[in-house]
Amino acid sequence: MSETHGDIGLKEGVTYSRVNDLVLNMLKPPTFGWYCLFFLAISAVCWGAASFTRQVLDGMQRAGINQPIAWGVYITNFVFWVGIAHSGTLISAILFLFRAKFRMPIYRLAEAMTVFAVLTAGLFPLIHVGRPWFAYWLLPYPNERALWPNFRSPLLWDVFAVSTYLTVSATFFYVGLIPDIAAARDKAKTFFRKLLYSITSLGWTGNHSQWKHYMSAYLFFAGLATPLVVSVHSVVSWDFAMGNVPGWHATIFPPYFVAGAIFSGVAMVLTLIIPLRKVFGLEELITPFHFEGMVKLILLTSGIVTYSYITEFYIAWFSNNPFERYQFWFRPFGDFKLAFWGMVFCNCVAPLTLWIKKLRRNIGYLFAISLVINVGMWLERFNIIFTSLSREFVPAAWGNYNFSWVETGITVGAFGWFSMFMLLFIKFFPAVAISEIKEIMPPPVREEGALEAH
Amino acid sequence: MRGSKVIVGVFSYMDDLVRAIRKAKKEGLDYRVFSPMAHPVIEENTMPQASSVRLFTLFGGILGCIGGFALAIWCSLDWPLRVSAKAIVSVPAFVVIGYECTILISALATFLGILHFCRLPDILRKVGYDPRFTDDKFGIAVGAEDGKEEAISKILSECGADEVEVREGL
Repeated sequence: MSETHGDIGLKEGVTYSRVNDLVLNMLKPPTFGWYCLFFLAISAVCWGAASFTRQVLDGMQRAGINQPIAWGVYITNFVFWVGIAHSGTLISAILFLFRAKFRMPIYRLAEAMTVFAVLTAGLFPLIHVGRPWFAYWLLPYPNERALWPNFRSPLLWDVFAVSTYLTVSATFFYVGLIPDIAAARDKAKTFFRKLLYSITSLGWTGNHSQWKHYMSAYLFFAGLATPLVVSVHSVVSWDFAMGNVPGWHATIFPPYFVAGAIFSGVAMVLTLIIPLRKVFGLEELITPFHFEGMVKLILLTSGIVTYSYITEFYIAWFSNNPFERYQFWFRPFGDFKLAFWGMVFCNCVAPLTLWIKKLRRNIGYLFAISLVINVGMWLERFNIIFTSLSREFVPAAWGNYNFSWVETGITVGAFGWFSMFMLLFIKFFPAVAISEIKEIMPPPVREEGALEAH
Repeated sequence: MRGSKVIVGVFSYMDDLVRAIRKAKKEGLDYRVFSPMAHPVIEENTMPQASSVRLFTLFGGILGCIGGFALAIWCSLDWPLRVSAKAIVSVPAFVVIGYECTILISALATFLGILHFCRLPDILRKVGYDPRFTDDKFGIAVGAEDGKEEAISKILSECGADEVEVREGL
């Protein structure tokens, strides 16, 4: 890592001004390639919208969910996207508290990913309930019959957890953006951009009083977001663990889900940041130092996830409960065995190759592995939801499941929806943190060592 | 800032800026420092005391915690859902609601704290500001009465300012 700038991972010779130029360069008018990607994303959204319209018009029979598999692809997608959302807050909040320097150039994109992934995840419970126009029933709103939701239900906990997560992560994201939008405002050329950035930067000037209160508040935000990120996926896991269903009713679920969420989220950050770095020439800001940091997180969380899989099997055997035992026999050898072995390969075996230095330093390989992990984590949720529901206690009530084209369309549409927001974001707002990168750079001084004397 | 004029010094080096801050403090001037990022040395020399934003966070958290539990308890008592012999007010179950509301209200209150203490939004009024302060320059703006601008400009120049500008009105 000799080509990088001390222990902060930036290339030698990067100055404050260069950071501004590199990041704000991303806001230049879109290229043909961007329009092509945007068109693809919008097409996927249209496909999803058309599929959803068909489901609304015809009813839930258009989806493949049935009895006993009442939770299908929609809930799989919900858990998948909430999981993706987690590493954004992990990278921005937890690594901020740990003062991990590799977070600086990547955290903004990770936060954007968080906000847009929660926006995507939030769609699925609404789609899943079948009559989304009654979604407000989930909230404790005053009504004529004085009827309130059941606060003892994990599903209501989920409503509170996910909506809190969306609000807090969006606020945290916006607060982090304010100084950088001000930098964009000061370099904006067109009237529209100037107006947009003037309003959204709220008139930030970066005076000492503003920085003082801002940094203090930022620390509190990080302190609040850290327990939040752990609680939200724990609550999501309780949607399952509180139910008396073989394969779900386990105390290991919260840590297992949180580790899995971070695992998939970091992989998604890699999936997004590798092409972005190449297209916008950010090699000076995002170096192997930062990829190393993310790979370490992947290796750690992959280890935790693998350990959790093994523990589940061990506990099923150790419990001597025939329903649990059968469930964990059914997963690797039953009707959905391909999904199980795919999950094991993608989440447990493939990441092991990252222990080899040559491979983890290969950016193309990292990109491929990140895609493999994303597939693996989707399969993990598929495994948990489908296999457990298809083999509950009474053999007469066992069942199977097939995707419908409506579910496929909505799933693809969700990826389009997420990509659409990401593409718009990188063209309108600074996708790499300008002021925080400057914070870790040594400030320009006339006399070496002069600041130490202060 | 006090006075009818603002003297703005633009600096390329942080040690020069710190020297100017110390001098301004010593002279009892009313100043404002601009920088493209937060830095502990600037903080120590300008506002070493803790920010009061923390009070917003604390009261938001207390309010959220009480509000979350109160909501769950009141709603459960108002529409009792009797399941087996389980308690209507099931505190362990309501911890999740209380916990999430604590974080939600605390975070929103912290955001309000930023707006309040940073005096935002303030889109049009940027006293002593220069667009280079979000790029690679540091700045100090000093408020002054008529007749004192020359002396202050001299102080800033002596501290190593690249340029010093006297602006009318605050």
